[in-house]
Formats: sequence, C-alpha cells, structure tokens
Amino acid sequence: MTSLSWRSSNKLATLAMLFMVAIIIGIFLSRLWNSASPQIPLAAGETTVFNRTSTAYEQPSAGLTEANFDKHGEGDIAFEAVFVTSPARVNPGLGPLFNNASCAGCHIRNGRGLPEKGQMLVRVSDPQESNLDSNTVPLQYQLEDNIKQSNTPSVPGLGTQIQDQAIYGYQPEAAVEMNWQEVTERYGDGTTYQLRSPEPKITLANGESLSPEIQISPRIPSPVFGIGLLEAIPNQTLEKLADPEDKDGDGISGRLNQVWDVQTKSTAIGKFGWKAGHPTLLQQSASAYVNDMGVTNPLFTEPDGSADIDEEILDNANFYVQTLAVPARTLTKDSQVQRGETLFNEANCAACHISTLKTGKYEVKELSYQTIYPYTDLLLHDMGEGLADNRPEFLATGTEWRTPPLWGIGLTHTVLPYSSFLHDGRARTLEEAILWHGGEAEASREAFRNLSADNRAALVKFLRSL
Amino acid sequence: MLAKNKTRTLYRRLLLPFACLSVIIITSACSSNSTTSSDRSTQNTNAQSNDIELAVVSDFADRVVIPTYNLLVKQAEDLNQAVNTFVSDPNDDNLRAAQQAWIETRFPWEKSEAFAFGPASSLGYDGDLDDWPVNETDLEAIINSSDSITEEYVEELQTTEKGFHTIELLLFGEDNNKKAADFTQRKLDLLKVLTSTFQQSATDLAKSWTEGVEGNPPYREVLATAGNDDNPAYPTVEAAVEEIVQGMLGCLDEVANEKIGEPLETKETEGLESRFSHSSLNDFQSNLQSVANAYLGEVPEANTSGKSLSDLIANNNPELDEQVKQEIQAAIDAVSAIPAPIETKLTEAEAETTMTTAQEAIITLFTTIEEQVLPIVQG
Repeated sequence: MTSLSWRSSNKLATLAMLFMVAIIIGIFLSRLWNSASPQIPLAAGETTVFNRTSTAYEQPSAGLTEANFDKHGEGDIAFEAVFVTSPARVNPGLGPLFNNASCAGCHIRNGRGLPEKGQMLVRVSDPQESNLDSNTVPLQYQLEDNIKQSNTPSVPGLGTQIQDQAIYGYQPEAAVEMNWQEVTERYGDGTTYQLRSPEPKITLANGESLSPEIQISPRIPSPVFGIGLLEAIPNQTLEKLADPEDKDGDGISGRLNQVWDVQTKSTAIGKFGWKAGHPTLLQQSASAYVNDMGVTNPLFTEPDGSADIDEEILDNANFYVQTLAVPARTLTKDSQVQRGETLFNEANCAACHISTLKTGKYEVKELSYQTIYPYTDLLLHDMGEGLADNRPEFLATGTEWRTPPLWGIGLTHTVLPYSSFLHDGRARTLEEAILWHGGEAEASREAFRNLSADNRAALVKFLRSL
Repeated sequence: MLAKNKTRTLYRRLLLPFACLSVIIITSACSSNSTTSSDRSTQNTNAQSNDIELAVVSDFADRVVIPTYNLLVKQAEDLNQAVNTFVSDPNDDNLRAAQQAWIETRFPWEKSEAFAFGPASSLGYDGDLDDWPVNETDLEAIINSSDSITEEYVEELQTTEKGFHTIELLLFGEDNNKKAADFTQRKLDLLKVLTSTFQQSATDLAKSWTEGVEGNPPYREVLATAGNDDNPAYPTVEAAVEEIVQGMLGCLDEVANEKIGEPLETKETEGLESRFSHSSLNDFQSNLQSVANAYLGEVPEANTSGKSLSDLIANNNPELDEQVKQEIQAAIDAVSAIPAPIETKLTEAEAETTMTTAQEAIITLFTTIEEQVLPIVQG
C-alpha cells in the first residue's frame, strides 16, 4: 500500500514536472514559431526570404547548400558584369550591336526595366507570306535567326529584334522613340482614370521610318527572381492546367506555347518570356546575352563556333537567376489586404493568376518539391485587342500573352521607382494594369471596374502585399 | 556526434506532443481574455516606436543621403573647375590639381554606396557617374576620330565611356603615370566635356532627392512618408528602416567579397576599381565610412546628424549598439593597415595578410548586423 501510494505520488510528481517542462518548451516553441514562420503561406516555401526593401529581389534562395551559395555569388558577378568592346582586359565581347551592356543594366536590381532606351527592346517580324519559309542567311551577329523562326520571319536588316545601340564605328539598326497616347475612361462609380498606350516611332539607320507592314512588339525587361521555381514546376502540371478548348466552359482557355529548343533541336513547351517563347531558362539567358548584348556564348556562337563567354560564365549567370529568392509577403494580417484577397478571388483573377503550385524534382535540389505561391499558370491567354501586339510568336497569337507571376509585385516601386507594368510598361499603376485586361480577362476587369473605390483600394492593397 | 543526434531525436519525439499541447493550452488561455490594458499599452509602445522609426528614416534622408549627395555636387563643381583650368593651361601643376580634385570627388560618391537605392539606380545616375570597366577600345576610337565633342555627343555615349573612371583614365593614365605633355587637344576637349556632364549628372542626382526630377516628387518624401497608405515603396515604417540596414549589408558584402575578395584571390590588379589613379584603397575606406554614416545617422564632413539606427538599436540593446560601433571601427582600422597603393603592393606578403584581416573584420561586422541588428529592425 505504502509503496503503491509512494509510487503513484511519484508518478504524479513526474507528470507535473513533465507538464511544466512541456509548458516551458511550449512557450519557447511558440515564440520561435511566431518569429520564424508567420502563419501565412510562404511565397516560395522553404526558399522564401524576408526582405521588403529595394534589395528584395537580390537575395539568394534560403537554404542553398554552401557550394550553391558560392555559385550564386559567382553568378551575381556574371549578371552584373558590364561588357565592353573587344579587345579589353575585363569583360570583352560587347556588340557590335546591342540594347544594353549588362544583364543588370536592363533587369535593374533584378526587377523590371523602364520603357526607355537601353531597357526597352522592340521585337519585329515581317509578315509577308513570301518570307515565311525563306531561309534567309543570318546577318552576322543577328543570331536570333539561328532559332527556328516559324511564324516570326525576320525583317531584312533588322532580324527579329531591334538593337538600337552599337559599339564605336557601327551603326545602330534603328532609333526607337516612345510616344504615348492617352485616353480617359470611367470606373463604374463615375470616377475617371487615364490609360496610356505606346506609339513607338522607329527610324531606320538610313533615316527612313520603319514600314507599317512590319509587326512590332515593344517589351520591357521582366523581373528575374523566382524563375528557378517556375522552371521547377513539372510539365504535367502545366498540361493539366491548360484548357485550350475551354472544355470546362469558364470562358478561360489557357494554352501552352510550343517553341524551338536550340539544345535538343526539337519542339518544347514554352515557359519564359512575355509570350512564353523560350523553353528553358538557359536558352532565355543565352538568347539575352547574344541578342540584347551581342555577347556570343556556347548556345549561340560566332559563325566559326567561338564565343565571347564560356560555358562556366553562362552557367553561373543562369544559376544566379535560377536561385534568386522570392520575398515573403507583407501586411498579411491587415484587414484591408485580407478583404482585397477575397475580392481578387471573387473577380476570378485567380483563374489565371493561380496562387498555389508545387515544384517537382529539379536540377537545383533545394528548389525541388516546394509549395509556392507565384499567382500564375504560365499559360497563354487571349488578353483582347487593347493589349494585343498583333505579332505572333510560335503558337502564341497576336492577342495572347503568358500570365506573368504576381509574387513580389508589391515591391516593384521599392526596387525600381517610376517603373511600370505590362509587357510594354504602359501601365503606370496596378490599377491601370488591371484596367488594360481584356479578352478572357474582360469579365474580371469589369468586376474590378465596377467595385467601389474602397474595394478597389483593398484589392490593390492585396497586390501590394505580395 | 551520432549519440548526440540520437538524443535530440528522442527529445523531439517525446516532448513535441507535450509542447504542442501546452501551446494549445496557453493560446486558448490567452485568447479567452478579451482585449486588455496590456494590448493597449502594446499599441502605445508601437505608436511610439513608429515615431522613432519614422524620425530615423526621415533624418536618414535629410541628414545622411542628401548631405552626401550635396558634397558630391560641390566636389564635382571643383573637379570641373580644376579640369577647366588644366585644359586652358595644360601644365603638370594644373594636372596635379585636377587629379587631386578627382580624388576628392571620389570620397563623397563612395560614401553614398550604402544607400544606392531610389533614383540613383532607376534614373541611371549610378551608371552615368560610375560605370565600370572603361570601354578603352571605343574611347581610343573616339579620341582618334574627328567627331565633334559636344555635351549632346557625350550624353549619347555608353556609360562605360564617361563618368568617374573614364575621367580617371584620361587624368591619370593606365598606371598613374600621366604627364601634361601626354595630352593631345582631342583628349583635353573630351576631358572638359566629360567633367561638365559629370557635374550635371551629380547635380540631377541630388535634385532627384531634394526637389524631384522628371515630374516626380523629391525622393526624400518616400522615406519621410514611410508607412502611409499611398507610399509607393514602403507600406510600413519597418520596411524603410530595414532599407538602411540592407543597404549597409549590401555595401559590406561588396567590399569584403568583391572589392577586396576578388583581387585577394586572383592577385590581379585589373579588378581594382580605381586602379588608374592607384586609389582603390580610398574606395574601400569610403564604403566603410558610408556604412558608419548610415548607422550613426550623420555626415561628419557636412556637420549633419539626426535620429539614427544606432539610437534605435541602443534603445533595444545598448550592448549590441556598442558592439556594432566597435566592429565598424575595427573594420576601418583593418582596412587602414592595408599597404598603399594596393595597385603596386597587391602581390606582397603584407598585402595578403592585411587584406585577409580586413576582409575578416568586415565579415564580422556583416554577420553581427545580419544576425542581430536585422531581426530587431524586422520586429
């Protein structure tokens, strides 16, 4: 009896002590939990970083191995390297024709660029039937012609992209002057707003204006963070999201582009660029080197097979972009932000700007199998006549654009003050960007246009929290 | 090692359920209480700390960023004047004076390195003033051409054909060996226009913060109104304070790992940023001073000071504040020990040891800021 009661009181004491310990640990853990991981979905899973400043897009993904962290640092140097005319001791190989001399010169602080000389570029193609199947010999340094052109036949003398700068002794292909046309429209409540659209004036080297027959598409540089995670989304996921014939009848189709892969020399799913014209990040990067900077590389060589940069530099620069982190959201407990998110979903914006996706197995292990919140489906959608560039790119029609991710969009003006939105930078504010949506997104735009001023502000504040 | 890991796993298995249970108990206990006075006092403290934070960021704009840019404008004017004197009378004394003016202009610019955000990057002033490397091939071609060198002509040049380092190359030569007799009239003409457009860019940069350019409001407003609903960059004041901290971190990372780290590793002088004038050490030192100014909320040369990040940290953790100040000084001292000019001493043993020590001191400071200061600011 005595021994039993002793044992039970001992048990009680042990339990009480365990309980106390558990409470203490509980307090500790709850503090840790509160400070380390807020109860909101992290933008990029375990790779998310916490930074809401102008350096937010310049952070390496959280959780990189030491070796990959170092490689990211090497890539940072490559991404910032400013090229100069050969011969040179540091960074030779610029041009002779180019748009900018460094990656970071266009993608300022890894964000977007402004619709201005040096950052904006203009894609061109000559729709004349006779050119469609012609095998034009690539003009030297217009190596974009090395890519199978399909429906974007190059313009004689220009190729498929206007390089408006040149090293000394060479003539830029053309001068591009951006003019804007403004229109005034009204919200449902009668409040007026202004929208501007570009009217670029393109003057060729010989002083003549570019023929109006030529299809043109002005583009600003896209932000470059988080792209590795997008590349890590399995093709099957995208194929499942696609609904080319709108079989579910929700008015929203969503198509995958099929583009040319220069490495495998075959057709592949297009994922990157404003019209999803590139299948891999590496091809996108290599193409930017050669077309935007005139820097030949292992994917796009000189005619004799040599190149301005070697495989290591191309690979490092590409790895840098792959492993640029996505910043965590801000103001997630703000009631206006929360209401804005509801309104975003109610307006069916999330049908294309899909919030949640999962990455699969990926070449950068640390980015594999993450639940991410990019707010995109990476698919092409008809965005209506208002936004159309009327210049097809592989399967993408003249009115189709790839849904751009919205993560980190709230930091756009923190990173690059005075910058703007949409493919040609026409939208000066997020409101304007929404109001330009047409085509499949027309109903969503109308839903926004007819919200009260208060609700419009809430929806935009939600976007700014991303 | 293995045993230790095993014990840890055991603890996790056994204690986690208890811990979770107690978390549930504690949170439910707390949430069952309605809003109490302690909540209200937290709100008050928040408001107070918001006021301090707002003072820190607005003083940062007015008493650190703007005074630094104003010093840059003043020096750019002096440089322009010294170059004009040299161009009209190209003798060695006037060349020395122009070279000295270049060195002096470099100080305030490199002291702005810890806050290169805002208009400096987005309106292109950074590139116009300080792109690197110099496009020497094109520069040679321009000098040998018969192009008429005007302000409009220079404005159209690539950023690697103007700004600090192009002017530096012209003034100092490849290896700090320029003499007045080396200057052709073309070189003098180019130098003259380059320094006047340089002065214009510096003036515009300062103006973008004080008055606003291209129809935009002055950028100081963006910091001064941090946390306002319509603020374009900082929806919370904390984010604006963090901007100061991230700027310091970025600057320290660049000095330690690129500016010192690269030449230390490669032993090649090409990577030294101001190698033509043999003054790269000045740049390292000024960058550290930039970090110090950002932290202390002051610009000693301009006699300005205000509410600072240092004050904010001291309120929270005075020992940490003291530690940061000491580590800043230690980094500055360590860089002072590097033999000058590093451009000629890079391969000496003393350079290797002192640069390694300096790099370590800067990384120590970086780590303290990243691991201890940043969490306080992020809240």
